[in-house]
Amino acid sequence: MASNSVFLLMVSGQIESAEFPEFDDVYCRYCFTHGQDWLITSGLEEGITQVTKKSQDEKQRFVWNFPIDITFKSTNPSGWPQIVVHAYGPDVFGTDVVRGYGNCHVPITPGRHKLKIPMFVPESSSAFQKLTSWFLGRRPEYIDPRVVAQGEGREVTRVRSQGFLTLSFNVVMKDMKKLGYDILPSDISHAAIVESVGPAPTSSEA
Amino acid sequence: MGEVHVIGQIVGASGFPDHSLFCKWGIHTGGAWKVLSGLREGQTQVDNPQNHEAAFWSHPIDIHFATKGLQGWPKIHFQVWHQDQYGRNELYGYGFCHLPTSPGIHEMECSTWRPTGTFFQQVSQFFLGGGPQLKNPDLIYSGADRYKLHTIAMGKVHLRLGLILRNFDRFGIEC
Repeated sequence: MASNSVFLLMVSGQIESAEFPEFDDVYCRYCFTHGQDWLITSGLEEGITQVTKKSQDEKQRFVWNFPIDITFKSTNPSGWPQIVVHAYGPDVFGTDVVRGYGNCHVPITPGRHKLKIPMFVPESSSAFQKLTSWFLGRRPEYIDPRVVAQGEGREVTRVRSQGFLTLSFNVVMKDMKKLGYDILPSDISHAAIVESVGPAPTSSEA
Repeated sequence: MGEVHVIGQIVGASGFPDHSLFCKWGIHTGGAWKVLSGLREGQTQVDNPQNHEAAFWSHPIDIHFATKGLQGWPKIHFQVWHQDQYGRNELYGYGFCHLPTSPGIHEMECSTWRPTGTFFQQVSQFFLGGGPQLKNPDLIYSGADRYKLHTIAMGKVHLRLGLILRNFDRFGIEC
């Protein structure tokens, strides 16, 4: 049994909150995508959160506080798992339309991480199609949301980013060092330099 | 043989005059490096942000290299293009950045620049768009004939890259 060539990745965390300035009553669905060498050993690969309204103060946040718990095993870091979150909400006529897709890789270093990812929707290709989709409530959507996690085929899509989602992860790994993989610098006093960026689109605390 | 996994995303770009942007990216390495899996170049989607002053792509990068030497450490280079509402594309900037050499998660900003032309070309660029582009895109990441170029600064590309190294300590490499 080749059990000594497998490492485990355990992820626990939550879909914390989001900011969508123009919408209300939003819920999220999430799913994990991964490469061929990965297998889910426990936990839920998909889920749906509750429907929430935005807060009444000036921050106008949506809070879900939705738990995520999943464990993967793999022989190869290629195809590292990504979480794809898609948010939905009712439009003015009451149909559920997509409010954003977002994706990010599960962090590769153990510890606590808080990530803010942008959410975007596909745009209709013509003004007439925008008008009919607004009336009929059938906005452009991806047939398979996992396409958001792939690097190919994106060059032909036009999207509009319209919100942010905050996720937090706690990552634990087993046997990566045993297989020779280094995920932390060898000298801790020379850890990665944190650049102070101005209008940084995302923030991460480890 | 040492192996390097690069797992992360091109998050987006900010600081450009207009934010309906997409990015063509590629990773260039020296001769000792070989790609075992993953795409080494690509193009992001076009993002037209609704509320904020930055374009967000969240374009995933997942590439696996094997290497016999440290020379030619990979560099990721970008061409940021602007697409207007009529579908016309205009170059907004070139930039490159070496991939980090230490394992872990790195948030990086890569500044970009655009070639400028003569005064009359700049005037016509202001009214009509367009502008000079590099004939040979190798100049983005090589220093060979750069002294001939006149450029102007443009915005920044934001990256969040995670690096996993394998077997580097077996060869005595500290990073």
